[in-house]
Amino acid sequence: MINAVLVFNNAGQPRLTKFYTQLETSVQQRLISEIFTLVANRPNSACNFLPLPPLLVNSSKSSTPTTPHNDTPSLVTYRHYATLYFIVISTSTESPLALLDLIQVFVQALDGLFENVCELDLIFNFETLHAALAEMIVGGVVVETQLDKVIEGVRSQGTVAKRPVNEGKGGMGFAGFGRGDGNIWAGR
Amino acid sequence: MFEKSLYDLIRGLRNHKGTEKEYIDESIKECRKEIRSTDMDLKSTALMKLTYLEMFGHDMSWASFNVLEVMSSPKWRHKRTGYLAAVQSYRRDTDVLLLAENQLKKDISSPTPPVITLPLVAIPHVINPSMASSVLSDLLPRLTHSHAAIRKKTVVTLYRLALVYPETLRPAWPKIKERLLDDSEDPTVTAAIVNVICELGWRRPQDFLPLAPRLFDLLVEGGNNWMAIKLIKLFATLTPLEPRLIKKLLPPLTKIIRETSAMSLLYECISGIIQGGILEAVEGTTEGEEVARLCVGKLRGMMVIEGDANLKYVALLAFDKIVQSHPYLVSQQQDVILECIDDPDISIRMRALDLVVGMVNSDNLTAIVGRLMRQLRNAPIATSADNPANDRARATGVTPYAESDDSDAEESLRHHEQRSDQPPPLPEDYRVNVIRRILDMCSRDTYSNITDFEWYIDVLVQLVRVSPATSSSAVEEQSDFDQADDIGRGIGCELQNVAIRVKSVRPEAVDAAQSLIFVDLRDQMFPSSGNGGQGVLEYASWLVGEFASYLTKPEPVLSSLLHPTSLQLPSKTLAVYLQAFPKVFASLASNEQISWTPERKTLMSLLMARIIHFLEPLSIHPNLEVQERAVEYLELMRLASEAASGTDTGVEHGEFTEPPLLLTQAIPALFSGAELNPVAPGAQRQVPIPDDLDLDTPINPNLQYLLSQAELEGFEADEDDVYAAYTEPPESYTEAQAPVAISASERLDAPHKEPTSYQNATEDEYLDPDIIARRKAERKERYKDDPFYIDPEGDRGSGAATPLGRIVRENNTELDIDSIPIMDLELEKRGPSPGGEDIARARSPRRAPRQVEIMGDETLGSNDAPSDPSREDAISPRFATAQARGKKSLLEVDSSGLGSLSLDDDDNSGRKLTRFELERKEQEEAEMKRALAEVERLRLEMQRASERLEVKGETVVKKKKRKVRKAEVEGALPQEPAGDAEGATGDGEGEVALVKKKKKKKVKPEGGDAAEEGKEAEGVVKKKKKKRRVISMDEGAPVDAEE
Repeated sequence: MINAVLVFNNAGQPRLTKFYTQLETSVQQRLISEIFTLVANRPNSACNFLPLPPLLVNSSKSSTPTTPHNDTPSLVTYRHYATLYFIVISTSTESPLALLDLIQVFVQALDGLFENVCELDLIFNFETLHAALAEMIVGGVVVETQLDKVIEGVRSQGTVAKRPVNEGKGGMGFAGFGRGDGNIWAGR
Repeated sequence: MFEKSLYDLIRGLRNHKGTEKEYIDESIKECRKEIRSTDMDLKSTALMKLTYLEMFGHDMSWASFNVLEVMSSPKWRHKRTGYLAAVQSYRRDTDVLLLAENQLKKDISSPTPPVITLPLVAIPHVINPSMASSVLSDLLPRLTHSHAAIRKKTVVTLYRLALVYPETLRPAWPKIKERLLDDSEDPTVTAAIVNVICELGWRRPQDFLPLAPRLFDLLVEGGNNWMAIKLIKLFATLTPLEPRLIKKLLPPLTKIIRETSAMSLLYECISGIIQGGILEAVEGTTEGEEVARLCVGKLRGMMVIEGDANLKYVALLAFDKIVQSHPYLVSQQQDVILECIDDPDISIRMRALDLVVGMVNSDNLTAIVGRLMRQLRNAPIATSADNPANDRARATGVTPYAESDDSDAEESLRHHEQRSDQPPPLPEDYRVNVIRRILDMCSRDTYSNITDFEWYIDVLVQLVRVSPATSSSAVEEQSDFDQADDIGRGIGCELQNVAIRVKSVRPEAVDAAQSLIFVDLRDQMFPSSGNGGQGVLEYASWLVGEFASYLTKPEPVLSSLLHPTSLQLPSKTLAVYLQAFPKVFASLASNEQISWTPERKTLMSLLMARIIHFLEPLSIHPNLEVQERAVEYLELMRLASEAASGTDTGVEHGEFTEPPLLLTQAIPALFSGAELNPVAPGAQRQVPIPDDLDLDTPINPNLQYLLSQAELEGFEADEDDVYAAYTEPPESYTEAQAPVAISASERLDAPHKEPTSYQNATEDEYLDPDIIARRKAERKERYKDDPFYIDPEGDRGSGAATPLGRIVRENNTELDIDSIPIMDLELEKRGPSPGGEDIARARSPRRAPRQVEIMGDETLGSNDAPSDPSREDAISPRFATAQARGKKSLLEVDSSGLGSLSLDDDDNSGRKLTRFELERKEQEEAEMKRALAEVERLRLEMQRASERLEVKGETVVKKKKRKVRKAEVEGALPQEPAGDAEGATGDGEGEVALVKKKKKKKVKPEGGDAAEEGKEAEGVVKKKKKKRRVISMDEGAPVDAEE
């Protein structure tokens, strides 16, 4: 299952924190900071999977290293879009590649909701951000992976505000969003 | 007053560059005030702001009650804010959870779908066992709600209920199953159910076998890749239980592998086939071979494909899962896997490292270790700035910093993913990890993979040099556990192990230990940064002591041991040092064949004087172990020294004089005895207890008397130098010199690199030049009579290196036949090669793989049946349970409770509960009853209180007035912790109560009845803080409270 979903920017400033286990606020911050340190040092060619941050390694050391327990968070997946890092911490029962696609769907959903989404949209509408996530993941279990259903679900809860007008000049209009290498949901 | 909205807060943050901290503190203070307002809009906005700040680590647990207030607002907008705040801020110990339960139940039963969604999403975050069973009855009907979105979320919420209270799954499961089997069910709901079943599945696969046909249909129908992946994962756990599934699964799986365009699905198919044991099941058939080829081929393709590191990573993951069961499949891919060890990406390296440890054998060990060593040697050592532990605000929180408005936060996220471009240096823990893996690989199965132990010893020495510095805090006097963790000690342990187990390389091992001990080599042998690898000294010093007779240079070793810098070693190492030099000294002094000449006498006296000089300060060392050993040997050396000076030397040349017996006999006898052999861990316990062993009778009945005598006699020898040793102030211990520093320019002089050749190219890359030089000298020595050996030192150029080639080249105009050497095969002449003193020991002439005798562990009786199990248990269980129980991982959601819950509804009633289960169940039920009673009591009280308020409209008005007064009181008390809802205890509450009383008196004449009621209500209020809050909540939402 999924243990946590985090979004932070290039400076490590959190934009969304969602832990599917109850965790002390200070521990949450430490974990975010550790993951940020790991992720910020990644070279260009690196894969989208992080080694476990020290906070998670220490506690999982007790079980045998070769076969991590299925309940133990053992996979940290991330994707980096423009100024934001999207992180998913999960157990080994999740499929790593599918999680990458899941993040992609999440970002696409945000893009659909905000029309050319950028970090500012997420800062000023963090409730919508949470709502979009709740449409996809409930209690650490994925409930929806189809883009249109996610967007529809969020919209049904009320109109999605755009960011305040004086806050920015709008997105930069990049086309060709996504990887387009057959990694996105083919069955969608 | 003008309140800030969330937008204002964020804007404000962005405009307060440099003073964010103050701004946030100020804002939180405002929120504390606003959140107590009766205006729901204001309250909700304040909560929103707090939730936003919580993201940055600002605690908002004090507002938990206000969260509940906002949750109970009838307005959807407020509710949503309240629920979000609850999800983000409620923790296990939040006490209002008990009250929130009521609200959750109410909202689950709401008629509007968006409102139902809120508790469904929130419950997984706040659920506890007592709540679970009470909420269950409200949740179950939602499984048949008309909206698919509600149904799918309910399924997941039910799963989370089952995690905290497994019994809830019993009533829920049949309904979930019904949804799954319903063909007309919305596909998204089916997908959610499959997700949940997949989570449940690996815990109790047997319960889901009956569903296999339906799941199979879903897999074949396809459509949703995410669901297909989950199905495949589920089937991989089912196939071991039901082999017939394999035949059925194979065609659709191979079809997906061939046809799908989604890489994730392809990958999961392959890993499902491998993990589900499908490969073994179809082994031998042509079909099976085809599948195996297909899977492994695809995995290999993932490894070699250019530009997608993710595929490389997951392929390694897949290989890692099968390396134990299918080693042959993995070793076929050895070439590509080994490439990954050097991948620039640390994640891939780690995976490859894990994998490689599993696939190592005697053929590839050298190559693998070589690669790893090269990595360690060539990568820059990570600076402390790169260490995640030192980075950023490690403490409590991050302050949201003020970004200027033109920051790149507006950049569209559509931007293609990007990352920084710098290669990371090797982090310390990775280094440690690599070294540990190397040691693991090499020592596996009592060194069964190693053919060349001389090579292994060289590797160990090299490892010491590349080991990272131990963290600065972990230097001395630490707990034993941490010290055992030190990587230097790990290496030392290996060196010791090899020296003892493999007799044929003992000289080499001692040689290596000797070179590690030498003080003047220290800069070369140990990394310049920090004290990395120094733990090895403990073992090296033991080796030079124990095997002192093998030492080639015992005297320099002794002086190194006695070097003033040794005093600064950790006490544990120092204790071993103390044990080592008497042994070395004994081996130096023990020769009774050499005459006791004046030179020898002087030499011995000098050595002993040095030892005494070294020991004296240590006799008051703070570490008891060191102190004790120092005192013992100090006495011994003083005795020996007296004996030496008292024995006259032979005056005449040639006359044999007996050396003092104390030196030649007594001291060596202390250290020589039975040969040391490795002993199996259980061997000691297999020694039978002698029948006549009587442990009860005291050995000496007069013990008490003897002890008291000893105390009396204790301090007789006052004048003696023993006393002096204890009382004299230590001089040299404190003034021990710092290690001699080398000038910086000398450090910069790069060691001269030996010219490389194909012969030693690989070793060159991971062994330091001096080790290579030594190896080369040995090799040259060994092959110098071999006409076919191409000497790398010889002339360069192809074909010129053999003696034959040289002749050809020198006289390339005309060939002089006579100068071609004709080798005489003088077999008898090829004795031990004459060498310098340093390589005096004859090494085995050929390095070609040879059979080395490795000593196994000694034990009694049969090796594999370790004594009687009860005694075995006596030692191990504490450790084992400690491991099994272990600390739960930070984010882990424990699902172990599900393991014992059977979902098989048929034989449910017939199932016999074990006594343990029964007891547990009873206990749980009793607990549940208590919790329910408590909840019910509170609810009744709440209800009564609110009824009173509602029925008497008058009272409500009055209460509102009082509320205003209350606010005034608080305003007048600035020192009161601002707006802490829970903090309104103690004096604050007292004050409020006082005001209330005054007010009540005023009210009384107006309406006796109402006042009476109010009095009662207040009685409740005063009795319990919690209840007071409940009332004010109902005030805030009078319409709501009517329900």
